[in-house]
Amino acid sequence: MDTKRIRNFCIIAHIDHGKSTLADRLLEHTNTVSPRELKEQVLDDMDLERERGITIKASAVTLLYTRDGKEYMLNLIDTPGHVDFSYEVSRSLAACEGALLLVDASQGVEAQTVANAYLALEHNLEIVPVVNKVDLQQARPEDVIEEMEHTLGILPREVVRVSAKTGLGIEDVLGAVIDRIHPPKGDTAAPLRALIFDSEYDEYRGVIVYVRIFDGSMRRGDRVYMMKTKRMFEVTEVGIFGPRMTPAERLGTGEVGYFVANIKTIQDVEIGDTVTNFNEKAQEPLPGYRKPLPMVYCGLYPTMDTDLVPLRVALEKLALNDSSFSFEPEQSPALGFGFRCGFLGLLHMEIVQERLEREGNVNLIQTAPSVTYEILTTGGQVLVISNPDKMPPVNEIEEFREPVVNIKIIFPVEYMGVVMKLAEERRGSYKATEYLSQRRVMLSYELPLAEMIFDFHDKLKSATRGYGTLDYTFIGYRTSNLVRLDILIGGKTVDALSSIVHRDNAYARGKRLVKKLRREIPRHLFEVVIQAAIGSRIIARESIKPMRKNVTAKCYGGDVTRKRKLLEKQKEGKKRMKSIGSVEIPQEAFLSVMATNDNE
Amino acid sequence: MIMQRELTHPNALYIHIPFCIKRCSYCDFNSSVYQPDVASRYVAALEKELGGVKDHPYKTVYIGGGTPTAMKEGQLNQLLSAVSSSLDMRRIKEYTVEVNPGTVNARKAALLRWGGVNRISLGIQSFKEKGLRLLGRIHSRRDALDAFSVLREGGFNNLSVDLIFGWSGQTLMDWEEDLTEVLSLDPEHLSAYCLTVERGTPLARQIRTGSVPRPDEESQLDMLKKTINFLDNNGYKHYEISNFAKKGYRCRHNVNYWKNLPYVGIGAGAVSYLNGRRTSNIRDILSYIERIEAGRSAKTFGERLTPRRRAAETLMMALRMTSGIKEKNFTVRTGFTLRELYGDVIDRLCVLGLMGIRQGRLYLTRKGVFVADSVMMEFL
Ligand SMILES: Nc1nc2c(ncn2[C@@H]2O[C@H](COP(=O)(O)OP(=O)(O)O)[C@@H](O)[C@H]2O)c(=O)[nH]1
Ligand code: SF4
Repeated sequence: MDTKRIRNFCIIAHIDHGKSTLADRLLEHTNTVSPRELKEQVLDDMDLERERGITIKASAVTLLYTRDGKEYMLNLIDTPGHVDFSYEVSRSLAACEGALLLVDASQGVEAQTVANAYLALEHNLEIVPVVNKVDLQQARPEDVIEEMEHTLGILPREVVRVSAKTGLGIEDVLGAVIDRIHPPKGDTAAPLRALIFDSEYDEYRGVIVYVRIFDGSMRRGDRVYMMKTKRMFEVTEVGIFGPRMTPAERLGTGEVGYFVANIKTIQDVEIGDTVTNFNEKAQEPLPGYRKPLPMVYCGLYPTMDTDLVPLRVALEKLALNDSSFSFEPEQSPALGFGFRCGFLGLLHMEIVQERLEREGNVNLIQTAPSVTYEILTTGGQVLVISNPDKMPPVNEIEEFREPVVNIKIIFPVEYMGVVMKLAEERRGSYKATEYLSQRRVMLSYELPLAEMIFDFHDKLKSATRGYGTLDYTFIGYRTSNLVRLDILIGGKTVDALSSIVHRDNAYARGKRLVKKLRREIPRHLFEVVIQAAIGSRIIARESIKPMRKNVTAKCYGGDVTRKRKLLEKQKEGKKRMKSIGSVEIPQEAFLSVMATNDNE
Repeated sequence: MIMQRELTHPNALYIHIPFCIKRCSYCDFNSSVYQPDVASRYVAALEKELGGVKDHPYKTVYIGGGTPTAMKEGQLNQLLSAVSSSLDMRRIKEYTVEVNPGTVNARKAALLRWGGVNRISLGIQSFKEKGLRLLGRIHSRRDALDAFSVLREGGFNNLSVDLIFGWSGQTLMDWEEDLTEVLSLDPEHLSAYCLTVERGTPLARQIRTGSVPRPDEESQLDMLKKTINFLDNNGYKHYEISNFAKKGYRCRHNVNYWKNLPYVGIGAGAVSYLNGRRTSNIRDILSYIERIEAGRSAKTFGERLTPRRRAAETLMMALRMTSGIKEKNFTVRTGFTLRELYGDVIDRLCVLGLMGIRQGRLYLTRKGVFVADSVMMEFL
């Protein structure tokens, strides 16, 4: 295809503003798929993601659209819509020349709208503003357009008004994509340069590599070379997504598609890498973008040792399809053998855990999530730790640093007080207030990641009756007065329950934690003592009184089987718990470390 | 001493009568409201089933329910004659029938006595009218006292009384009064059950909807402690979690269950345990009758336990008795030694003061009895 007839774009939107619905309409309108096939939302094709309504894996689709007798190739690249995945948005943006910025006409500009719009601007993308859901009775497009103007400097006359539900304005969207987004500017004659923006593992064909061709072209039989990983492969198939994989002769300059090349593991393919021709290598790789770094870590342990190998196999399989997920073996004195896993954020962590339990069929104990800390030792060394247990002795610590993020929160003005209180309770330092309109405001804070990552989002939602939204970007490590808070159960330190907290909060935190654990740990046949400690100093103590009564009054001949089965079932339930010493600790207890500032 | 014969030949026969005048609120036994015509067919079916299992060397017979005495005299008589004509009655040492106040008079008592019955288990449950009402019993305190004396006068010198404690609204004082009152009757045997709210019963529903408060566990525990102390001090030995007897009056039939020895059960839903296999009859009364009438077996469920499971069950049942189990007998019955299976668990529970070993017997301490289920779980 002539590059002048190609447009590469993505849709960026806050979750639920209608990105998937709009994508469906575009597919339908261009006859890429029939309405019947659309029953399933084609762009997100993993069960779990559909359940949660979140697109995680970036994928792509090619729309062929004819206007005024000319056929255009419009490549729509999907982007994730949740805060955890903002890094992943970058990979899609890097492959595009333009973005549809979609805003719900009743909800207005939200935190992710802003964050994603800034990201798109950083990538020099042409932004096509779109207001969606104009069919809604409570739609207030004028206000929303004003908000867009205010926050993002968008010209009101450029805003396209659509209803992705009814199809109103879809033609205008396609028109704007063609007229306003410029065609790719590649050099057809230059050596191949293609950006890898995603990959996927297929059991039969190996890794499927998603690429955007910037210069030159790629054909079946070509020998290609990955500039960063320095590996060579022979291409066995190239094609486009229509939306299913459709083999093609070649992928030309500016096009978006995939190639298959007998690549065995996903580690051989690095997202952001540049593919060039092995025989005719390009001088310079494409700028690419930063690989997303895991921000949150937790330990995953099988409840039974025999599940260790199945767990590893399941983790490996998962990592094949999710390059932002990482894991390595670790050993915990309390929990035995397991893995330390890295995630983009909390939601990502939950999704991975669910998938493991579902697909791997293993019962897991998940330890409380932790961020990564930097420790400058007295010896002048900088250690990076993501597990409180790996902290060096206090007297060897010169400086303790924690990650800090810049957080933007958007909400109706009347919640100003509660939101500020929430941010300040979480050690936030105030940066700015910006009014989006008369009614809505955006606050910026700098906040330790550890304070925001666990339940800040939930707390914000409940404080603002669901209206508040947030987005954050990592800004760096800052020195902080941190200590390790240990938990002892039955006199033994349970490393998996340790956490790193700010000294000012440690006391209150320790008290809350032991209270919470007292509720989560069931009664035993003996008294269970729970203590919180900083170093050797005990700062809080609770005890669980021994079980007092648990006895079946009647048990005669006819009751034996039922009775035994009942006890067996209860016993089975205990298997989901991890025993430490002789105390059985349920999964919930390990997670209770998470909830940071509950006022319970 | 356990005889090899006891391990292979059933000593106990249970006969289930699934009829009551009215269902009690807490009851989840297999029973339904008495209908004379169904009962006639049922008794005939029992006779037929009995014919197939009559040749075992039974030493105890237990007719339970339900309420056997809810049946008309003719039906009761037919059942009793079937038993006495099929079994070798000289060998039967203990022959119990469950009776409810409000279903017995002098004629029925005499009928039972002539039929060879030598032990009665009388379901009084409570002497408090509020308790009887809450439990949904059909009788008053007066009816209970009358029934007891009718039975005594009818010549029964082995009477057992069932009581229930721990129901919503019962105070410790209420319970002490019940205990005192029952002592004044001077029964030979007593069963005192802590109320269990069984799923699916009217009582469970009332508690769920809030019309009846949930029984309080702490006060149930206080009552249980009280019961054991009080009865032990008054000549009734605590020999099983909920059972007390004067010397020589333990229920042999039930002890057979707790020793996990074989038994035969007939009637709807009745369970048998023979040759290491546990089977049970179909619960539904009409289906039971139809199967038997058609000459088919009424069994619907069977399980053969693995040796390990059987060992666990043996221990689980034996620990219900305060005398526990002799390590030697455990080995005779299961083929395992206690040590090899449970050495660590037993040590741990002994340290916690929940179990003890005395003269080669492993038993639950008083403290262990209160948490018997949790202790037993350790052995599964
Ligand atoms: N009324 C109306 N509802 C819409 C429109 N577009 C999307 N929706 C609804 O908004 C919800 C979120 O849409 P979806 O496409 O899943 O949002 P996404 O999370 O951005 O992909 C769904 O219930 C859609 O049916 C529209 O134009 N009008
Ligand atoms: S009399 Fe006994 S068997 Fe009948 S309903 Fe009441 S408790 Fe249940």
